[in-house]
Amino acid sequence: MTRTVLVCCGTGCIATGSLSVAEALRGEIQKSGADATVETVIKETGCNGFCENGPIVNIVPDDVSYYKVKPKDAPDIVKGLGGEPVRRLLYRVDGKPVPSQKENPFYAPQHKIALRNIGIIDPAEISDYIGRGGYEALQKALAMTPDEIIGEVEASGLRGRGGAGFSTGRKWRIAAGYESNPKYVVCNGDEGDPGAFMDRSILEGDPHTVLEGMAICALAIGAAEGFLYIRDEYGLALKHMEKAIRDAEDKGILGDKIMGSDKSLRLTVVRGGGAFVCGESTALMASIEGRVGEPRAKYIRSVQRGLWDQPTVLNNVETLANIPVIINEGGEAFARIGAPKSKGTKVFALVGKVKRTGLIEVPMGVTLRHLIYDIGGGVIGDRPFKAVQTGGPSGGCIPADMLDLPVDFDTLTSYGAMMGSGGLIVMDDRSCMVEVARYYANFLAGESCGKCTPCREGLRQMLIILTDICEGRGKDGDVTLLEEISATMLDSSLCALGKSAPNPVLTTIKYFRDEYDAHIGDKRCPAGVCPKLTAFEVDPALCTGCTLCKRTCPVGAISGELKTAHEISESACTACGVCREACRFDAIITAPKRRCGV
Amino acid sequence: MTVTIDGIPCACEAGEYLLDIAARNGVTIPSLCHHGGLPGQGCCRVCIVEVEQGGWKNIVAACIYPVERECAVFTKSERVIRQRGMVLSLLRAAAPESAEVARLCEVYDAPEYERFVKKPKERCILCGLCAKACQSLGTGAIVTVNRGVEKAVSTPYDEPSAVCAGCKSCAEVCPTGAVEVIEDGINRTIWGKSFPLKKCGGCGALTGTLAELERAADKAGAEIPALCNRCKQKSMSDVLASTYGW
Repeated sequence: MTRTVLVCCGTGCIATGSLSVAEALRGEIQKSGADATVETVIKETGCNGFCENGPIVNIVPDDVSYYKVKPKDAPDIVKGLGGEPVRRLLYRVDGKPVPSQKENPFYAPQHKIALRNIGIIDPAEISDYIGRGGYEALQKALAMTPDEIIGEVEASGLRGRGGAGFSTGRKWRIAAGYESNPKYVVCNGDEGDPGAFMDRSILEGDPHTVLEGMAICALAIGAAEGFLYIRDEYGLALKHMEKAIRDAEDKGILGDKIMGSDKSLRLTVVRGGGAFVCGESTALMASIEGRVGEPRAKYIRSVQRGLWDQPTVLNNVETLANIPVIINEGGEAFARIGAPKSKGTKVFALVGKVKRTGLIEVPMGVTLRHLIYDIGGGVIGDRPFKAVQTGGPSGGCIPADMLDLPVDFDTLTSYGAMMGSGGLIVMDDRSCMVEVARYYANFLAGESCGKCTPCREGLRQMLIILTDICEGRGKDGDVTLLEEISATMLDSSLCALGKSAPNPVLTTIKYFRDEYDAHIGDKRCPAGVCPKLTAFEVDPALCTGCTLCKRTCPVGAISGELKTAHEISESACTACGVCREACRFDAIITAPKRRCGV
Repeated sequence: MTVTIDGIPCACEAGEYLLDIAARNGVTIPSLCHHGGLPGQGCCRVCIVEVEQGGWKNIVAACIYPVERECAVFTKSERVIRQRGMVLSLLRAAAPESAEVARLCEVYDAPEYERFVKKPKERCILCGLCAKACQSLGTGAIVTVNRGVEKAVSTPYDEPSAVCAGCKSCAEVCPTGAVEVIEDGINRTIWGKSFPLKKCGGCGALTGTLAELERAADKAGAEIPALCNRCKQKSMSDVLASTYGW
């Protein structure tokens, strides 16, 4: 029998020290001497998703999961193998320690398809992937006609996971229909939404599933060459992917005569230079060709004329990760999961002011409430929920009364937001929605390619107006003007980045208009975020004089003795809000600024 | 195939661009970033029109929209007027010194937004035609650099280009006169670099920079012509006249 100790070595856990945990465990196992009946293997795996509780160690087949593991815990973990789990390292539900992920509310409701191998296999070992049924789908696909492969993908109802939600089967069908050769298959790994790390996790933790998905796509459309465009910041993903391609070629799975057939597929990793706009398919292709990463108009689609003007299928990482399962289990089985027009599961990066942050995969059609409250455990400190930002810079902010909306491709879009690629940023009552809009306008003003007027100049003026509003220089009519600029950007921009860039502004205006009015009319930031419109005061009735705020204040603006109510000097205070976050008694309250910096 | 533009039936071939079809049929669609000698770019968005096809109405850029099926095109619909007005207003704030942008704003009734912050002393609308022209000549001395609101046209590292020959094709194609060219009869200064000018051996007119003439001669495998085109024609006709005794 073999017992495997899986040490999560996703980027999050590596950052919290999982490599030294793995090292310590290896040393400890050696020291403890080999058990004649049980061979213990230490494996470094991809991301388990529950990053904020890392480093995570899982033991199989015992089904024990440890969290926040330190190297010094290694002796206890090894001692506990096969026996009583180490209680202090277990996850606690209502104070009760639970060894199995099945009892952990973060994991229990999840349904893993795209993430099925991550956390279980060592991404650097092709044999691990093959051991979990990897490349069986490719073998199966080699015995199928292109039409049959596409038929399965069409039957699955799979839609592109990058955000736009175009039918994957139809895209393949169109590309397969063109006679022009060569054709190309491209994997879009240029994930760039703030707060999103779905594709990163897949590229890092299960690179072969992406390769298998690409190979099946290549068979379906008749391509013999492909590219993986991965942003250069994803160092681990690049490393694992490059090794995966080499290993697969060495094993005859990729390269010439794949798996002994007459088909070939050469895959190349291309490093993205860090431009957000290169996640847009036509800009990405321009970048692969060595041109400036600017989108072109899609009056002629890239399935017809893409890379080097040849038929090209570009799929998102998560989309491709679903393909092997669809071929193995059949399209119809896949279509039984999820919502009526959004089949299968979706991976979300749940972040922000939520108790349990991390990467989750759930069937599409579940509600935002289920994601945020059941899986995420609700808002940190049980503060009031204000909004959830979905879909990154192209998405929008969804208010509390829409928490029961199902999350799928079409519902959120009809409310002006979008599910997008899967970023979910939870915000509480201390988040300023005007500042959120300004943040995204600023992000896009820097990341737009700057080619077309509505996007470049629209964002420039929008950012100036939003900054003015946040700093107390907002004017009557500003909101209307923002809406007018937005309308032109939506209608007249060259690419999807410009066409969706106004969404954060429009949704915050639509659902949080009162905050705009307070900023413009009363020169007040209701959330207490915008420094020029906010002053902080200490509520003497609530202050216990613990001195925590005084010690955390970066500018020394707080005075007071131990066990007496503290005071904030308005002239010294920069309204950064650190004291309010630190205070455990909610004694720091916001007040309108007396000397507003207008 | 026929498309209607503002109700006027226009004959066309599949794949032709709307802007060309309109121009041929006498319908004016304003544009800035389009130049007949270069491929369409679709970046200024001044040439936007509304296309009705299969029950859908979409805003498209006429300079790069290839007609594939019969459709109805509207260049003066309420939606076009509104969106083009905003695009022009944004361009006026981006390039307040451009007379051409100001003229278009006037003709197409672009609303004046006091709130828009104008870029000081700017004429460039960042359409990139100059860079396209330079690239298509095989020089590639200027390119668009940076992205987003920081986008600009420049030589590498803002330094005088090693390959620029001072041919000023960039200035010729610029729709807003934003490329600064200074000539004093001896030198031409462009993109931070001065080029000696060559004079015609006959009439003394300036024929271009020495660098561009050298490059052209080099490509053609010939000597730099001593005369300007006019004088060359004259001298040839003189030879012909004397030969045939005209």
